Amino acid sequence: MATQVQAKRTAFQTTLQRIQARGFFSHTLPFWLLLPALLIIAAIQFYPGFYSIWLSFQDRQGAVWNFVGLRNFERIFNSAAFRESVGHTVVFLVGYVVVTMFASLVIALLLNRTVKLSGIYITLIFIPWVIADVIAGLAFGLLVVPEYGLLSPILSNPALFPPKGLSITSDPAPRPWIPGFPFPPAPAMYYLILATAWRALPFVTLLILAALKTVPRELIESARIDGASSLQVLRLITLPLILPTLVVALFNLTLGGMNGIGLVFTLTRGGPGTATEVLSFLLYTIGFGRLEFGRAAALSVLIAIINLLLILLTLRVSRTEERVQ
Amino acid sequence: MAAVQAGGDVPDLMQAGDGSLIPLLKNGAIQDLTDWIKAQSWFSDLDPSAVAACTGPDGKIYCVPVAISPYIVFVWKDHFPNGYPKTPEEFKQAAEALKAKNVYAITFFGSTAFDGDGATRFTNMLIQSFGGGFDDGQGKMKLDRPENVAAIEFLREIVAAGYVHPSSWEGTTTPFIEEEPMKTAEAASFPTGIFGYRYVNPLKAPNGNEYKKGNEEDMLDAITAGDVFIAPLFAPEGKKPGCGIGVTGFVIPTGAKNPDAAKDYINWVMTKEQNPDWVLGPGGGFPALRSMLPEIEARAPVAKAFYEQAAAAVAASQCRPWYGSLERRNEAKKIIQTAVYKLVKEDPSADISATLKAAEEEYNRGN
Repeated sequence: MATQVQAKRTAFQTTLQRIQARGFFSHTLPFWLLLPALLIIAAIQFYPGFYSIWLSFQDRQGAVWNFVGLRNFERIFNSAAFRESVGHTVVFLVGYVVVTMFASLVIALLLNRTVKLSGIYITLIFIPWVIADVIAGLAFGLLVVPEYGLLSPILSNPALFPPKGLSITSDPAPRPWIPGFPFPPAPAMYYLILATAWRALPFVTLLILAALKTVPRELIESARIDGASSLQVLRLITLPLILPTLVVALFNLTLGGMNGIGLVFTLTRGGPGTATEVLSFLLYTIGFGRLEFGRAAALSVLIAIINLLLILLTLRVSRTEERVQ
Repeated sequence: MAAVQAGGDVPDLMQAGDGSLIPLLKNGAIQDLTDWIKAQSWFSDLDPSAVAACTGPDGKIYCVPVAISPYIVFVWKDHFPNGYPKTPEEFKQAAEALKAKNVYAITFFGSTAFDGDGATRFTNMLIQSFGGGFDDGQGKMKLDRPENVAAIEFLREIVAAGYVHPSSWEGTTTPFIEEEPMKTAEAASFPTGIFGYRYVNPLKAPNGNEYKKGNEEDMLDAITAGDVFIAPLFAPEGKKPGCGIGVTGFVIPTGAKNPDAAKDYINWVMTKEQNPDWVLGPGGGFPALRSMLPEIEARAPVAKAFYEQAAAAVAASQCRPWYGSLERRNEAKKIIQTAVYKLVKEDPSADISATLKAAEEEYNRGN
């Protein structure tokens, strides 16, 4: 037995010595270790990415792809649907991010206090996060169906919503304050923001709550001794200390809101009319509704660029904030 | 299809509807059947609108229609005891009277759901009734025309007057919700595809009669009992009611190895013995061969009244495919219905002509 173990050790040492002797291999060992992961990333990230870029310059005629240059992009920029959905996306993103961040922060601050049964509250709050988008969308949709929705008697009450009640499913947007920009949005957009924020609330709340737990209690106590109000403690101590977490949450919400389609698809399908047709839904419609893959790829490239710009903007804002703090 | 042809393994025959005719034609994927089809004994028996749907922009016939799906109006008899209105003016008068009884005169698929499918349904029927259309016959969209403007003005008027059930616009968020008021007779009429009735059940007539098998026979029973009747849409004086149409039939692909065998098969399907089975089967519809109607009624007695009334409504209408010469149909219908929705629901004060012009330009830029 001991002989066998000794033999194995010797073999291992020999192999190690050989590897060390081969300078090339030892120098490139990290690369070889990373290679499987790189190959997987290349297969599932880079290849589809580059293929989409290639596709965005093509148009299909029968079974053949034809190079059309920038024509797909030109058609997208010239379409009213694209311009409108950019506006809808801005309204949706701003509403969704602001509502979710604010509500999550408030809930996290409340849960950070010593509250009885806080474990149960946290568990309950986490429920929306584990529900699939499709189910959440259908459930929210059923609540407001005019004929039998649970909330419909309230919404359709003219006394509460003059002059003739409110229909989430069919009321169009009011006349825009700025021509061409869809604000104020249709009731369906408010509802979509509410549903999406409800879905994202648990994750962001827990993220912020975890960050709040790391804020040193002594700091807050000494600030209070120095006479700082609760608002001052929050603004000058707590928020700066949890800023990196807030940035992560902001990233998550922005990209999720920009690219997510589940709730739009199941709750409003872009309607009524085109009132909630955001970019991701437009992409789905062009690609899988009309099977115009070239144009859909062009739109996906544009969305990727917008995503990149949003990330850079968020990073810049957060760095500025850090410097100010 | 083009991919199959590129592979060299071409089928002899393919079932295809008019919906795929233009793309197949543009790709050179199907054969010209004009001379052959005109030489067949059953050609003169074909519904002219079905032949028109199978005809390419060059005037040649490329598909053999077997079944058609025209668009008609299902009407509650108690709400329209004197028959369905013949003109828009008559409709408004009747609708006002119904409104006094808290009944909506009409419900329809007016939302932008399913990539603007509403454009192929009531919107198309109404526009055609007013003498309008969506294309110029040369593959370009042509929306800004007086007839279309008049149709949309009429639509705005009846919506503003409260004659249209609100659910007509809610299909985006709640698919097919517009069928609900027809089921309960809260709406008095429902223009839809001829086989749209299959999904409108159970039914409760204004007189209290209930049809609650919960399947497609409910509407057939209501028609047989006289509670529901089928009518063509109304049209202004001097115009024929509009009626969209879809056709299912056969094409022979370019490069088919046995085109004669394919033609023999088509001739077999067009016989009195085979045709009714094909028309009544899944994917079928209303017979393209007019003489087959009695045979179909005999084989489906429960639908006898339905077929008779539908045939009369179709005969009184001018049925043609909604898309005309437009090729990118999914894109076209979304653009059309979005424009109509905006003009009627979102901004009823917007300039109709300018909005239609902008919509057609958007489509035509992609040509």
